[in-house]
Amino acid sequence: MRWATRARVHVDRAACAWLIRRFVDPEAEFVFVEDPTDVPPDATGFDMRGVALSHHQGRCTFETALLHFDLTGDPALEEIGHIVHEADLADETFDAPIAPGLDVLIRGLTLTSDTDEATLALTDRLFDGLYEHIHRRMLSGRPPA
Amino acid sequence: MVGVMTEVADTDEWVLLAYRLPREPSTPRSTVWRKLKRLGVAQLSDGLVALPADARTREALEWIAEEVLEHHGEAMIWLGRPADAAGRAAIEQRMSAAVAAEYDAVTTEAAARRDGDPATRRRVVARLRRELHRIQARDIFGASQRDAAVRAVDELAAQLTGQART
Repeated sequence: MRWATRARVHVDRAACAWLIRRFVDPEAEFVFVEDPTDVPPDATGFDMRGVALSHHQGRCTFETALLHFDLTGDPALEEIGHIVHEADLADETFDAPIAPGLDVLIRGLTLTSDTDEATLALTDRLFDGLYEHIHRRMLSGRPPA
Repeated sequence: MVGVMTEVADTDEWVLLAYRLPREPSTPRSTVWRKLKRLGVAQLSDGLVALPADARTREALEWIAEEVLEHHGEAMIWLGRPADAAGRAAIEQRMSAAVAAEYDAVTTEAAARRDGDPATRRRVVARLRRELHRIQARDIFGASQRDAAVRAVDELAAQLTGQART
């Protein structure tokens, strides 16, 4: 499937792209547009105004996506949702002390990446690691060494 | 080429949000206003706020516009340039003064808390550091009062570590 989002991705879009690729559509192909009206007709838009997969009722797009794709049963994903929310919106809805760090790291990666694809290649690894860390901590009850 | 994706803030261009929300229910009104305040917007008039435009400020106001629409209000994002240099300077000055006052309040509290007991001071340090992060997020013009506030909190924290060693 094709998925479209705004060019120059940041934390919420990077997290959504990772979620889509890992949990929804392994063959996902991403298109980056300047304006919501540029979304190709065969693509599903996300994290842009006027689409279902976006900010709604105070939720960031990643949190909306968890609901939309029925992934709320995975507590590790839910925790990533809280981190992404705070990294994106910083409205202190959740206690997510790593959020400011994630925000800075992803902004830094976009500064040193020539394309959105290049950014996502790195942020996919970042979110893989974050998921694994949270997942193992939840299994064992303590942070992995 | 490294850096092609960097978006430098155009200091001349501002992003504006014109919005109107029903008077009742009042919760969405206060939620929206709290979010705008957190961003450090300049309120130009009732229902019209502005920030110097960059990718981050524009996106933040766009999401708030969406939220206004979801609560059956009206909202529209504009991009514009102040045509009145003196007016613009006054607005920037007002925004800077608001942030400076917040930094000064942190400096004052950090200084006043030096005689507290260690447990209280530790909590105060943690709270003031969180407060500094919040203020910095809306410190668009880089207020010079920041350094003094950071130093005052660092000093309060250093005093604690000094105490812990004895």
